[in-house]
Amino acid sequence: MLIVATDTGGTFTDLAAYDDASCTVVYTKSLTTYDNFVEGVMNCANKADLDLSNAEIFKHGTTLVINALIQRNGAKTALVMTKGFRDVLEIGRGNRPEPFNIHYRRDAPLVPRELRFEIDERVSGKGQPIKVPSEQEILEVAKQLKAAEVQSVGVSFLHAFQLSDHERAVAAQLQKLLPGVTVTYGSALSNEWYEFERTATVAANAYVGPQVAGYLKRLEARLQDDTFEGRLFMMGSNGGVLNVEEALRAPIALVESGPVGGCIGAAAYAQALGISCGIAFDMGGTTAKCAVVQDGQFDVKSLYHVGGYDRGFPIRGAVIDIVEVGAGGGSIAYLDAQLGLHVGPRSAGSTPGPAAYGRGGTEPTITDANLALGRIDASSFLGGSMTLDLAAARQAIGEKVADPLGFHGDQGIDSMADGMITIATVTMANAIKRITVERGLDPRDYTLFAFGGGGPLHAVQIARQLMIPTVIIPPEPGNFSALGMLLADFRVDSSVTFVRPLTDVSIGEAESVSTKMREGIGATLKSQIGKGEIRFKRFAEIRYRGQVHTIRTPLEVGANAGGMRAAFESLYKARYGHADSKSPVEIVGLTMVGLGQMDKPTFESLAPNRNAIAKPQLSGREAFFPGASTRIVASVFKRSQLASGFIAKGPALIEEYGSTTVVGPGDKFSIGKLGEIRIELDLKGEA
Amino acid sequence: MKARDNQSDQLKSSVNPVTLEIIRQLLQSIPDEVEMDLTRTAFSPLIYEYKDYAVGMVDVEGRLIAQSRGGIPIFLANVLGLAVMDGVATYAEEGIHSGDVIITNHAGTLGQHLNNVVMFTPMMDPNHPDKVIAFMAILAHWTDIGGKYVGSSASNDTTDIFQEGIQFRCVKMRRAGKPVSETYRMIEYNTRFPTMVLGDVDAQLAGCTKGANLFTRLAEKFGTDTLMSGIAELWKKTEASARAAVAAIPDGVYFASSFLDNDGIDLNKHIECPITVTVMGERFIVDFSNISPQVRGPFNSGRYGGGITCARIAFKYLTTPLEFTNEGSFVPLEVVLPEGKFLSAAANAPMARYSAPISTVVDTIVHAMEAVAPAMIAAGHHASMGSHRFQGMHPETGVLFSHLDTALGGWGGSHNRDGSGPFKTLAHGDTLDVPVEVQEMLYGLHINSICFRTDSAGAGQYRGGPGLDKQYTIHHPVKLTLTFERNGCPPWGVMAGKEGQPNYVEIQRSDESEPTIYLKASDIPLNTGDRVLIHSGGGGGYGHPFNRDPEAVALDVKRGVVSEAAAREDYGVILNTDQGVNHCLTLEERSKRRACV
Repeated sequence: MLIVATDTGGTFTDLAAYDDASCTVVYTKSLTTYDNFVEGVMNCANKADLDLSNAEIFKHGTTLVINALIQRNGAKTALVMTKGFRDVLEIGRGNRPEPFNIHYRRDAPLVPRELRFEIDERVSGKGQPIKVPSEQEILEVAKQLKAAEVQSVGVSFLHAFQLSDHERAVAAQLQKLLPGVTVTYGSALSNEWYEFERTATVAANAYVGPQVAGYLKRLEARLQDDTFEGRLFMMGSNGGVLNVEEALRAPIALVESGPVGGCIGAAAYAQALGISCGIAFDMGGTTAKCAVVQDGQFDVKSLYHVGGYDRGFPIRGAVIDIVEVGAGGGSIAYLDAQLGLHVGPRSAGSTPGPAAYGRGGTEPTITDANLALGRIDASSFLGGSMTLDLAAARQAIGEKVADPLGFHGDQGIDSMADGMITIATVTMANAIKRITVERGLDPRDYTLFAFGGGGPLHAVQIARQLMIPTVIIPPEPGNFSALGMLLADFRVDSSVTFVRPLTDVSIGEAESVSTKMREGIGATLKSQIGKGEIRFKRFAEIRYRGQVHTIRTPLEVGANAGGMRAAFESLYKARYGHADSKSPVEIVGLTMVGLGQMDKPTFESLAPNRNAIAKPQLSGREAFFPGASTRIVASVFKRSQLASGFIAKGPALIEEYGSTTVVGPGDKFSIGKLGEIRIELDLKGEA
Repeated sequence: MKARDNQSDQLKSSVNPVTLEIIRQLLQSIPDEVEMDLTRTAFSPLIYEYKDYAVGMVDVEGRLIAQSRGGIPIFLANVLGLAVMDGVATYAEEGIHSGDVIITNHAGTLGQHLNNVVMFTPMMDPNHPDKVIAFMAILAHWTDIGGKYVGSSASNDTTDIFQEGIQFRCVKMRRAGKPVSETYRMIEYNTRFPTMVLGDVDAQLAGCTKGANLFTRLAEKFGTDTLMSGIAELWKKTEASARAAVAAIPDGVYFASSFLDNDGIDLNKHIECPITVTVMGERFIVDFSNISPQVRGPFNSGRYGGGITCARIAFKYLTTPLEFTNEGSFVPLEVVLPEGKFLSAAANAPMARYSAPISTVVDTIVHAMEAVAPAMIAAGHHASMGSHRFQGMHPETGVLFSHLDTALGGWGGSHNRDGSGPFKTLAHGDTLDVPVEVQEMLYGLHINSICFRTDSAGAGQYRGGPGLDKQYTIHHPVKLTLTFERNGCPPWGVMAGKEGQPNYVEIQRSDESEPTIYLKASDIPLNTGDRVLIHSGGGGGYGHPFNRDPEAVALDVKRGVVSEAAAREDYGVILNTDQGVNHCLTLEERSKRRACV
């Protein structure tokens, strides 16, 4: 029996397939096929030579949804809104995140004004119906929608999070009148207040719906052609999988389908290794991403901005809490007009790529700096399948950075290459601070799990800066996203707005609301899992009355107001350094998470150490280590030769397909029981 | 060539360029991090939604090291530095010591309304614990500090500063880390909302402490000398960047003029804003000599909170809009501003609405650059704070509420695209509007509609952004205070573009046949069944409307932003019955009317 996971990324489509008969995993990579993503997926499967008739589960993550939203190539979409409010989508919140830009504008709305229709209906601020939508008007709007030849319709009414009857009725009626058109409504996706955010969510959901439906149909058909008879699941932005039916109902749940795999993998490894506090750190070609992993779980947040906060639009829905910064292997170092040195966020991408790729890139990148310093080897990049041009890398750094700053000769190039990496390290360390320190967590209590092509190269330097004592490089860091998907479980997140003072009475009400939520989630999960066990977690969003931001506080069974207040205040104090024991406290929302287990590979099978040898070959290479003044000779290992239990000291460079792990002088590393590299940092003398 | 070499030698830094970039990033992250905490722990929507605050560090001479990016633009003047320097002078004898925290809102120093209170604390050299190396400072708008009106600054008719609240001129809140209880009592018994204000004071205090710790850690990491030299280098680089931007503007003397409707008391007297800008090499001189003198009503500001602030905001928009702000940002800017003008008013002048004129004055400075910097500027925007504050008892709970909203309106067209928006004014930034659902749930208000105002956008090759029509129906008795501006002087067009429609408010009484028009009024009583209609202005157009692509006009008509009549009248575009462009008739119409001109 096979479990297959595929991840369509920006450059490559990755596959990991686990065979439980032989307890083995195969990994393949193939270029992403932009005209038809299905081809890239099938290319990977062919490359792996899989017998899909033997596959029981096929999991799939894709950038399809986020690409459609950013490139604006989704369906022709209309909105149907409360009379008087069709411009909510375009007005937004009226804010300008670039305060001094007189030419500032937001990205155009997904639905232009001529496709935003109104219906005379109204629910009051108290959640009472004031005006029920008339059949006649629905017919009228349906006629206009038909005339406009729209492919998809979103319905969004004021206060539908309090009373969804009008939205549901209009959506059902329109669906009946418009066969072949996708119809969705806001309260089916989010039950929280703020009309703009909910409307933007349903607009996005409608916008990508037909495309996702077409894609899934093609994918299912191609898989069936290849004799696949098992079940297809999609990776959701909340870090759990969902079945095709759910993905069709709420395609917007796939918005961050791609980047979650690595986080799931890091969470699973952390748990298997008995590490309760971890940070997942993924560095690729253009950006670095990080997320906190606590007791095998990660946080999700309910507001996410497509296209960034500054110009994009929000969507409500559970998205794994990832902080992303513009630092990757392709990040370009440059001097501004005042000779200030900066690195990123502009990236050379894969074309032209770093100067060392020899594809016409002339600007120095982080990859060039690593090559120039001897941290990566020109001949063993991607298993030797691509030779890097060391001279071109050094020349780019010399001409564009070192010489203009007055740092001449080989030494000048080395010191500026090291400087470029140091600057990128500060940017990445700041991202980790944002998900730890700014959430009241101390990074020194955490273990850093680093993967992606660049993670293992920079993890030790980042950890040293944050005083993180231990770094773990899991197996297959270059394929870790697909590997992580093999380990993914089911997960459903649900949130409602629930505004009450925090009292024993309101907690009683919260009990009955959350029981209903639990039933809903349970039913959704049951239909997907079958017999497996379902676990639930629930939280209350609590704040001091008058504030806007809330603290997500666990809502335990049998909770009372006093206990909840104490729990809230202790979280508040940890986060902000002070808390107020007198101010009134209120609940603003309830969140329920349901988790269901899936079959998955054993960790041992993910890192088969077949090539490990008792005395691994050891060679040496001169490399310039972070903060050093000169080059030193480092031990160079092939990771595949290192058996579990192997121990050595830095300076060392551990090479494998797709990545190189840098271990600093004074640091120690060992190979763990699951094939992971565990690096213990020497933090003496660090401040 | 030699000159350029000299210049690049000067720019080569005494601090290693890698260290300098790291210092730059870490310095900026301090106010940014403090700002995030402040917005999350504040009790007042004026802080967490409106962003009425500034967070920054200044050195011992009051020079700005770094400032947070999320706060609204009107604190670009050295408000933090001024507060700190006044504190240093006030405590010349006693001294300012580690763990001291000082507040000030003195109008004579800051030149703003009294709600704006700066709190600051010294940061010590890690190697010489008695030596102050810099100050952490946070300005925050306190919800109420006494005075004639609830909210202190919600006035249209105060005539001196003493009607607008209490002044704390450099008072210690903490001495050596210990709270000064006298000061806390003074605050508590001079505000109508003590819980909210003291909650915000806690948030402000926590921010000062956190920022100071972060800065001290940087001094430990890099050494005080390296850190302070790095800061000086960053000032030099920012200054060079601003100078280069000014040097790119052709030399000359430029002029623009506008006016504000009135000062809230003398309703028929405009407040005049003729402004001259002189560009000479790397110098940018803003001359306010001919603006109106100090006015009777609360629309004055002091020299720094007023004229200097306006000049700085305009300068920032025109020169280095996307760069971090520090002391170097404004070195090329000079301001000519005699005493006693409404932007350089005396310390005791009424200033409750000091911020209302800012967006108009800034826009006028930008307008002056129309002919020489056509790609840098935009046509006029609605420029009205448009504050509308509902106050009353919640119909169910009986609890007193006060809900402040400000208008969103259109922005002006620019050299290659239509005006944007609706946004608040250019004196606002990341200021979030309160959702309709929240207003209806929490305050029992009822909003009938918010939609684009047809034909409000100024016509042009690139038209302005549309204003909004917003309509409330009153369901229980409330009072309404309005401050709307720029009705007499609508948002201007540029480069032959047309002006946008102006701002105004109508109140339709349930028992009257015609609505009444309002601009500025306090505590208007409203009854069940009355309706309030808020009309915000559209942005001005850029370029002649006859140069607009007729297809773009047809699309505007299809979208209801422009009426068919206006398409013909303003744009000379004739549509067929299917609303497609009739190219023949359009060509004819346009050439006929061009010939008439």
